[in-house]
Amino acid sequence: MAIVQLQGVVKEYPLGKLVVSALRGIDMTIERGEFTVIAGPSGSGKTTLLNLIGCVDVATRGTVLVDGQDTGRLSDADLTRLRLHKLGFIFQSFNLINVLDVHQNVEFPLLLSGTLTPGERDKRVRSLIDRVGLTEQLIQRPAELSGGQRQRVAIARALVTNPAIVLADEPTANLDSGTGASIIELMKELNRTEGTTFIFSTHDHAVMSHARRIVKIRDGAVESE
Amino acid sequence: MRVLVHIALRNLFQARRRTALLGSAIALVSASLILLLSIAHGIEDSLVTSATTLSAGHVNVGGFYKTTATDAAPLITDKAKLRQIVMDNVPGVEGIIERHRGWGKVLSPFGTIQSGLQGVDISTEKRFLERIQLAKESDYVEGGRDEVVGDPSKLAQPRTVMMFAANARKLGVRVGDEVTIQIELLGGATNTLDATLVAVARDVGMLSSFAVLLPTQDVLELYRIRPETTGALWVYLDDIDRAEAVRADLAKVFEAEGYRVMDHVAAPFFFKFDTVMGEDWTGQSIDLTTWEDEVSFLTWVLTAFNAVSWSLVTVLVGIIAVGIMNTLYTSVRERTREIGTMRAIGMTRWQVLGLVLLEAGLLGLGATALGTVAGAAIATGIDLLNLPVPILAVQAILLADTLHLKVVPSNLVAGVVALSTFTALAALWPAWQAASMRPVSAMSHIE
Repeated sequence: MAIVQLQGVVKEYPLGKLVVSALRGIDMTIERGEFTVIAGPSGSGKTTLLNLIGCVDVATRGTVLVDGQDTGRLSDADLTRLRLHKLGFIFQSFNLINVLDVHQNVEFPLLLSGTLTPGERDKRVRSLIDRVGLTEQLIQRPAELSGGQRQRVAIARALVTNPAIVLADEPTANLDSGTGASIIELMKELNRTEGTTFIFSTHDHAVMSHARRIVKIRDGAVESE
Repeated sequence: MRVLVHIALRNLFQARRRTALLGSAIALVSASLILLLSIAHGIEDSLVTSATTLSAGHVNVGGFYKTTATDAAPLITDKAKLRQIVMDNVPGVEGIIERHRGWGKVLSPFGTIQSGLQGVDISTEKRFLERIQLAKESDYVEGGRDEVVGDPSKLAQPRTVMMFAANARKLGVRVGDEVTIQIELLGGATNTLDATLVAVARDVGMLSSFAVLLPTQDVLELYRIRPETTGALWVYLDDIDRAEAVRADLAKVFEAEGYRVMDHVAAPFFFKFDTVMGEDWTGQSIDLTTWEDEVSFLTWVLTAFNAVSWSLVTVLVGIIAVGIMNTLYTSVRERTREIGTMRAIGMTRWQVLGLVLLEAGLLGLGATALGTVAGAAIATGIDLLNLPVPILAVQAILLADTLHLKVVPSNLVAGVVALSTFTALAALWPAWQAASMRPVSAMSHIE
């Protein structure tokens, strides 16, 4: 069952008097529970594609369906709600909230959704932190963590709301190869045990080797699968 | 909400130098506001005290008596009946005193002054004696003793006089000296009386320059008027705020009793001579006023002070508003990626707006509370020090010879609420900027 469907997706950016095409008619379907890599060189359109699937941007033309909802027809509030409840994000530079500690960073999306009681929330947060191996760092702030630990916090934060899809934009780019591999292993394990759909972008061949499906894009178009 | 408060507090703490600078500025404005309000309330307090001691009761039953259409004397006749009408119709009367109203020259071998003359029965002037403080001799005599001399109760004796320090200085007299009081009668003839200075009081601003007190009997004798006549009945109520209502009620009562009652004009009796002398009636007319009416010529002091204070505070608040906007705008710019991330995770525009406003609100609340408490403490301290005001012009404005500040608790609460609300409002623009960011643009922001 498709969780993401893209049909004829075009994304253009105005650049002065010019219009730059970041995506040129992408058609793609991602099934629920997949572990998919969007691969391609820098500037190929990987991040733009993830932004459209992640509902932080909208297509210039074409249709993006996320969990059956056409993102081009949704209001800003609906898109925010979709991001909060259906999507999790892992960023290349971690993007943690510096003034919050590990527990608070992971708890943050749950506080925004307001769906759990404080007790349930704490239990869920602690179990995920334990899962990513950061129990000892519970009250440390991002500045006190290594790059790998920060990315683990980001993974826990992305998964805490039990999202249907986790989007990871070059999650290992700022990590050494050993830490990067352990992060990918963690994501694979979570994909297997939680059934969460993972879509991540990379241009690292070592990372691509872990993927079950690789979609290669170049110059804003799908080159091969 | 808890997490927003936490983030806002942590952000303020993280940028602690900026928070401290901006917070200090807000606290300074708050303290200034409270200080200025305390001075204004001090002036108001002095005005009420001096007005209701020297110029008026809370409500005044005065009037004019005209023997011909073209003259006017500030007199009421049959004072006992008027007093009874007041007692019968006004609840909550704490006391009624009589003051004869006159105007004349006071002469000494060294100087002359023009002043209002007030005939008093000192045995009924408990309020006056409680509020007036006697001046040290050195306050009005060069090289005088640094101690209080004189006794106001001696005003019970005939041919005595009491005045304030500024007038004693002008006349160059001290307690025990003789002065001559000269008045003009209705027909244009003059009458004089020699009296001994029995007491000199500390100045209470402009009003004290126009008050020389004599025994009632001496005023009757000077003006050759009958004992059942007086200048005005000063009525003191249990609640000064009821004065205007009581005045309006008494006007109806006196009209019902058959008296001619003058239209209410919010002015002191001595401003009404020209009008009354131009009116075509003879006999008695009753003029009912409140204490505010009798000192309305002085309220400009308060109005002017308030205008200057509020102008100053408005400028300061304006500067602070620009500071807050600039600081928060910088803060939002610095945290663009963080805001973009929070939006991507699922924070709504309104929550982002709320977060920035909360940050400003918390800063404003903390700083204004601190500033307000500091301002109140400073004001109370200054008041307790009883600092003398050496310049006569300033004494006239402050209506006292010492610096009197009055801290009103409701002002403190209003100050904190108003300024912290204002701080949050000043943050609206940067907050809106933050809330309007598109997550994709914010996340790609290069710091």
